Amino acid sequence: MIHAAIKQVQRYKGWFGTAGGMCIIAGVYLGLVGSPPDYYQGEVVRIMYVHVPLAHTSLLGYSVLFASSLWYLWKRDPIVDNMCHAAASLSAFFTAGALLTGSIWAKPTWNTWWTWDARLVSFAVLFLILTGYLMLRTFIDDPEREARFAAVLAIVGFVDLPIIHFSVEWWRTLHQPLSISMRGVSISKDLLVPLIIMGIGFSVLFFYMLMVRTQMLYLANLLNAKKGRLLSHAHLSKAEP
Amino acid sequence: MIFFRVIQWVVWKDLISEVRSRETISSMFFFALIVILVFSFSFSMDQQAARELISGIIWVAFAFTGIIGLGKSFSAELQNDCLEFLQMSPAPKGAVYLGKVAANVVFMVTVEVILFPMFVIFFNLDVVEELPLLLLIFLLGTLGLSTVGTLFSAMTVQIRAREVMLPILLLPLAVPVMIAAVEATRGALNGNPMALYRHWLELLAVFDVVFTVVSFWAFEFIMDS
Amino acid sequence: MTGFYLRWGGLLVVAAILAFLVARNYERNLANLTPEDLLADPPSRAVRVLGLVRGGTLTGDQASGRLRFDLSGTRETLTVQYDGPPMENLRELKTLVVVGRWDPSARTFRAHDIALVTNYGFVVGAYLVGLVPLALFLFTMERKVGLLHHEIKQSKLYEPEMMDA
Repeated sequence: MIHAAIKQVQRYKGWFGTAGGMCIIAGVYLGLVGSPPDYYQGEVVRIMYVHVPLAHTSLLGYSVLFASSLWYLWKRDPIVDNMCHAAASLSAFFTAGALLTGSIWAKPTWNTWWTWDARLVSFAVLFLILTGYLMLRTFIDDPEREARFAAVLAIVGFVDLPIIHFSVEWWRTLHQPLSISMRGVSISKDLLVPLIIMGIGFSVLFFYMLMVRTQMLYLANLLNAKKGRLLSHAHLSKAEP
Repeated sequence: MIFFRVIQWVVWKDLISEVRSRETISSMFFFALIVILVFSFSFSMDQQAARELISGIIWVAFAFTGIIGLGKSFSAELQNDCLEFLQMSPAPKGAVYLGKVAANVVFMVTVEVILFPMFVIFFNLDVVEELPLLLLIFLLGTLGLSTVGTLFSAMTVQIRAREVMLPILLLPLAVPVMIAAVEATRGALNGNPMALYRHWLELLAVFDVVFTVVSFWAFEFIMDS
Repeated sequence: MTGFYLRWGGLLVVAAILAFLVARNYERNLANLTPEDLLADPPSRAVRVLGLVRGGTLTGDQASGRLRFDLSGTRETLTVQYDGPPMENLRELKTLVVVGRWDPSARTFRAHDIALVTNYGFVVGAYLVGLVPLALFLFTMERKVGLLHHEIKQSKLYEPEMMDA
């Protein structure tokens, strides 16, 4: 039943891809050419149009990972497990992108490559959690056990993330109240439009990438399984006298 | 009632095996001593700097020591197929989990209690009035590390590269515990009024409760054979 | 697989067009001259000049926005007559960009706007870092899916399961 449902959704993935791609292209044009620079930050504010959607998408991916992990533990369907793995890889990728673009934004704004801002630190911890998840999956051989353990890790990690964010934020305000924070951009109407378009584009593109990657993992497993069967077939036939 | 009997049994089993072999607590203790020594070489500390850094050093030492203890808690089960027996037994897995957490907390707090006077001596701290408060902070922080740590220890003991995966999985998730414990310890050691660092203690308590519940629920998925 | 390569080729073309548009916009609206460039080749249209407001040369009325100052580059100095909205960024010893026209008869630069120094390199860097790996990632994934499809069909192990193109 799940197979059929996912098959239906996969049929439309082309639409997702095209829509996401077009939104991003439009957003990049608007962001770089069609919108005015910020009063305080100048041209550098354009980086926001890339950094913020990346960050949003990585959190979206993490939520998808959480939901799929719960779904997997409930239904134990291997394709849901593939979706978990795909969501984690994508989320890690977007988190890395958010961290790098955030760093590039910080340099001209505050003249430092890294700042212990609460959100950057939370994202760094998120990145570590996701890489831990991916490493865990590499180190387990049995696929069923791998799926189960990974799902548990994803759920525990998701519950922890708000707590991590709050603790880091309290810690930051305690030690160095920043006069400007990452949120300090005065969002005027002109700045909002490219941001929203890029945000929508990235989210839609994320779902497209999720579907593609899930299918990739599923097909790879399928091929391995069938090769294994073929191999054992050959084994058996050779074993006969 | 079976539930509580299982918890009792697990705790008793771990304590007895520890009393007989003494390997966990002694290895944890000596590792912690080495950590303290290395830290004292890494920073050239005068009184002022020491007061700033000491709570961080204490908790780094406790965290790494705790990881050793947590790792041992389940790797000891690997001998004689005890882990498989735990997985197959009809005892409620949640009870096994709570028993393990309790045993780990006992070991870790024991090491911390032995270790803290050495910190006081080596770094010349002045702590007599706040001892019960410090003990509470140690307990809450250790509990925080143990709840998630026991779950991950059970997980990683069954996979390859188990020694390295436990810290990799545990430490990012234990960031709130570390931050809160260090800040609370610093507040207590500096003699600040409780109101200033009370929220850190509350954070530790919330973390403990939330993750005991979550790990309690998740443990049976780890111990499915 | 050909459809796949066609799609990505099209995307590459679109990206090239975008890059061209962005570069053209930069040339037209954002590129800065230095005072040396301006004096060497005085342009007739509105330009942006980057320089340092020389200490002790800022005169005029801050409130009304009519100000006069010297803008210096590495070798040359320009006289600037600013006539625009009052700007708190306009202070002595500050490096900034004046936007306006060169008046050859009065040998003054008539500026109507002040802007901050543009750090466009960072912006371009961030966009590349954010988008290029994304495209590469997606490209490799889709290619892998195509190859796997191909391989499964090839090995004749095809069973009517969940496999659509």
